[in-house]
Amino acid sequence: MSAALQWIVNATPPPGEASLHPFGQPFDLGQLPGGVAQAIWRGTDLGQAGQSVVSSGWAALDAQLPGGGWPCNALTELLQPQPSLCEWRLLSPALAGLAAGGGHILLVGPPKRPHAPGLVQLGITEKSVVWIAADTPAERLWCTEQLVKANPRGGAILAWLPQARAEQLRRLQVHAQTCDCPVFLFRPEAAQLDASPAPLRVLATLGPDWTLQVHLLKRKGALLDGPIVLPSVPGTLASVLTPRLMRPSQLLAKTEAANDPALGRAIDRRRQRQLAAH
Amino acid sequence: MTLHWAALLTDAVSDSSLRIDPQGVAVWALQFTPRVAQKGATVWLEVAQSMRLFGGEDPLHQRVEAGAAELGIRALAWAPTSLAALACARMGLRDGFAMPLAQVLDPLPIESMDAVNAHQATLARLGCQTLADVRKLPRGGISRRFDSELLLALDQAYGLRPEGYPWVKLPETFSAKLEMPGRVDTAPALLFGARRLLLQMGGWLSARQCGVTAFTLHWCHDAMRARDAGEGGNLTVRTALPTQNVEHLCRLLGENLAKVHLLAPAGELALSATEVSPFIETSRSLLPDDRASFEAVGLVLERIEARLGQHRVLRPTLNEDSRMAWMAYWQPMNVKRSTSKVRQVPGPQPTWILKNPLKLDVRDDCPLYQGPLQLLLGPERVEGGWWHRVTDVEGGQHSLQVARDYWVALSQHAGALWIFQQRLPRNEAACWYLHGIFA
Repeated sequence: MSAALQWIVNATPPPGEASLHPFGQPFDLGQLPGGVAQAIWRGTDLGQAGQSVVSSGWAALDAQLPGGGWPCNALTELLQPQPSLCEWRLLSPALAGLAAGGGHILLVGPPKRPHAPGLVQLGITEKSVVWIAADTPAERLWCTEQLVKANPRGGAILAWLPQARAEQLRRLQVHAQTCDCPVFLFRPEAAQLDASPAPLRVLATLGPDWTLQVHLLKRKGALLDGPIVLPSVPGTLASVLTPRLMRPSQLLAKTEAANDPALGRAIDRRRQRQLAAH
Repeated sequence: MTLHWAALLTDAVSDSSLRIDPQGVAVWALQFTPRVAQKGATVWLEVAQSMRLFGGEDPLHQRVEAGAAELGIRALAWAPTSLAALACARMGLRDGFAMPLAQVLDPLPIESMDAVNAHQATLARLGCQTLADVRKLPRGGISRRFDSELLLALDQAYGLRPEGYPWVKLPETFSAKLEMPGRVDTAPALLFGARRLLLQMGGWLSARQCGVTAFTLHWCHDAMRARDAGEGGNLTVRTALPTQNVEHLCRLLGENLAKVHLLAPAGELALSATEVSPFIETSRSLLPDDRASFEAVGLVLERIEARLGQHRVLRPTLNEDSRMAWMAYWQPMNVKRSTSKVRQVPGPQPTWILKNPLKLDVRDDCPLYQGPLQLLLGPERVEGGWWHRVTDVEGGQHSLQVARDYWVALSQHAGALWIFQQRLPRNEAACWYLHGIFA
């Protein structure tokens, strides 16, 4: 390996520094011809996504996703602590771009009724939305598979498959490899304990003060520790929220203090310590 | 200009198959050429002028032969004259262009031509076995001894005299019948016969340059049926866009037939195109384009609709209303939508909505949903709908008027919620309801 690398470096000596030993300084990928530089992969690098990606609309998230966006030609699993929590907050920047390009946004078995005026406010035009009200798990799987096979180029498939098994997802993943659009599967948080064939698994939870905490559970490349925090005020609430309401955690803390007995919390920490010392 | 005839025999069909309606085949054949003739069980196509359109002789031959095979026709032959093509088809020769016409026809037996076969007994006694033997007889003698038909037919077959046929005219409407070879007990098994009829309809559609938007399959119940089963049944299938794609129509029909329960065994099928509209074929390009994928999505959504039911694949239509439940209608795919611009409600709107608002528990005047809710913004007063009256099941009318104060509430676990309080409660306690989620 080292001999090969030396040969590569010798073959393209940097113009002014020919006298320096090639291994005396950190290796600079920029010195290599384009094709060779792309072929080198380091352990810390992110993997390559499939052929194309759709930008997620969040710079912080794009930086951590392989290829720089939601992958096409592959499944993306989005796990949430409960359904209908933050789907549109997380995906609407990407979906708005797709809808503006005339793509279909296909919803398979959403847990609640989509509210079209709210989606329009997010930039997802009503012409692009198709709601497939499939109820049973078998129907949802069948519809998702048919849509993935049809390859709705320029659109996106959003399927809620809480009960799908690993072999069913593997079948979808095989079909998705020929599908040029992002395929999002929404699953419960508990599914993170099961193995999944999806190359990208994301856990999205609500953070304090209008933030989303996105954990990348699985991606091509090195694991990412800790969540990515995305500031996201849902919908068009940003235009009506006062500066005080932009930090609702403080309000909540007050309410919670007042509601401690109501919530049935076992006992206050300080009081517990006092009791123990007694 | 040399003519290029094909003869299709509809009576010599493959194995134990269905009986084929020659008129239906003639209509199907009109997609290749306007010159189609039909006499008895034989259908002729004259395709010399269609060669260029279909990309030359070989591609056209392949298309016609593949289509005929799908319809169940086995005997098909090509020749420069119609009678020669018929004779070749009867004797199992496929290509009458392989050799000069006389060399092709001469060795054929006299049974291969109707006009000659009529005098088979006399000719056999004269020692004539093949067409060549008949031609060797003196012409004057033949015309005196037999009728003039024989000489005329021979001359026409050998290309010495012109042939004339009344061409089949394209019917204005399409309907075709098919008798099944056996009784069919289950509805999905009807698809086998219906596919033949759909192929014929595909030919008719492309000849008329139309696409079908609705077609009806009728089936007649067998004579041995229960008294209450009735004469038969029918099934109408609709498509969102006019189409000529037989495969797609076949799949749609299959999905619909899977839900049909036959009351009695069926013996006969009929298909009619009930709604037809002009169709513009898309140009085929080398590179994949978005339009094709757009259409593929339409087709697959139609198939999903056929399986799940019409009210399960929905698209929204915005409506100018301040009440949340009436801001958007979700309608089936094939409903026409107006393109007029709809004014938007100015305030923020949630992204999920509950069909029936969920009544929330209240503790200390504070609504609860997965813990206490923090009211952030409000109230936004929505009042209206007194004009909107509906008739309920018992026949009484009531108004869908609402008078609500909407609030944005924050829950630690469920995010931002859109909840409301009845402004003029019938009972005294002011109830809180969850209506939407800013997800």
